[in-house]
Amino acid sequence: MNAYHLQIVTPDGLRFDGEAQSLLVRTTTGDVGIRARHANYVAPLGMGVARVTIDGQERRGACVGGMVSVLKGEVRLLATSFEWAEDIDVERAKAAEANARAILDHPDQHDAETLELAEGRLRRALIRQSAAEKPQ
Amino acid sequence: MAGVSMKDIKLRIRSMESTKQITKAMEMVASSKLRRAQERVLTSRPYFEALYETVTGIAAENWDFSSPYVQVREEGPVCEIVIAGDRGLAGGYNHNVIKLAQEDVKGKDAAILPVGKKALEYFRSHGHTVISDAYAEAAGLTSGDCFSLAKAICDGYREGKYSAVRLVYTSFVSVLTQTPYVLPLLPLPAPEKHEKARELTLYDPSSESVFNAIVPEYLGGLIYGALCESVASELGARRTAMDAATKNAEEMIDDLSLKYNRARQGAITQEITEIVAGADA
Repeated sequence: MNAYHLQIVTPDGLRFDGEAQSLLVRTTTGDVGIRARHANYVAPLGMGVARVTIDGQERRGACVGGMVSVLKGEVRLLATSFEWAEDIDVERAKAAEANARAILDHPDQHDAETLELAEGRLRRALIRQSAAEKPQ
Repeated sequence: MAGVSMKDIKLRIRSMESTKQITKAMEMVASSKLRRAQERVLTSRPYFEALYETVTGIAAENWDFSSPYVQVREEGPVCEIVIAGDRGLAGGYNHNVIKLAQEDVKGKDAAILPVGKKALEYFRSHGHTVISDAYAEAAGLTSGDCFSLAKAICDGYREGKYSAVRLVYTSFVSVLTQTPYVLPLLPLPAPEKHEKARELTLYDPSSESVFNAIVPEYLGGLIYGALCESVASELGARRTAMDAATKNAEEMIDDLSLKYNRARQGAITQEITEIVAGADA
């Protein structure tokens, strides 16, 4: 497979800068795969597990928010947060999931803003856990 | 006579010494915080740059003006986000950035969104319209705060509350140099009229919804980057200012010690002369 230049950047730093063969990310409209010589393309990102193939090896990461752009063969993944599977603290994600569920189980005791935040946290925690899992 | 002035000088030396201790401590605190802030600037810079390049690149290739973010408007106030520090004693840091913002809004109908206590105090006391005072603590802002700030501004912009959005911040060039800048954020730069064929870009699902989803992220990212730069600049400026203050205090102490010793010697000489004169008589 042909390789292309991929950059994954987040406000917390550069996560990846190098040659990749394919990228699979979840946009707001669904999963999108990008290979070499893709047409110019821009889409906002949703929340999901991203798969990047580097030298035939697939790496997974939890990718939340931001955008993906292909401009003249350069692919950029500008994510609000992106963590490689091996950097994810599964215990922390599980604790966050339990906390968020505890809030969401009693919707009448909290205001709308807290509920919305908790829902966001729950979704991120679930994505982190699924990204950290070994692919079957 | 000599005794009184000797005591005076001693008191002044002591007060200078405590001033020096304070400035020295402030310099050290600023240095250690600066190291962390500098790291944050270095990690956030690639994002800041990639984001700016990508979004302006997309806007330049754009041919669809349906999104409100690319339309140029005439009416309404300019929203000016001004990032300054929370505290003084940082040399010209606060003054420079506020002065630049002041010049930028001169003669315009402007609504200010100050970040940092100093900016809030200044614009409030000078009778400007202040949008919100929720971001008065520049040091405690996280990237999450920046994204919610950006979202609020985008909502306001879409509703037509502002005609443009501009960001005034201080760019961290080096520890010794910090330059204030004005960065126009919205509307997005209009595409240049060039003759050559445009490269077409696929927007998924549509250009308008892509812009509407991306612009708040873009603004949030840029504000976060500018905040990181500003915080590092403030610490850099404070470090330099405090270093100069410490040096000045040292110089003054040296000068005063010399005066003190002279006064002491004068007193001794006078005493000897008096004794000798007494013995002669």
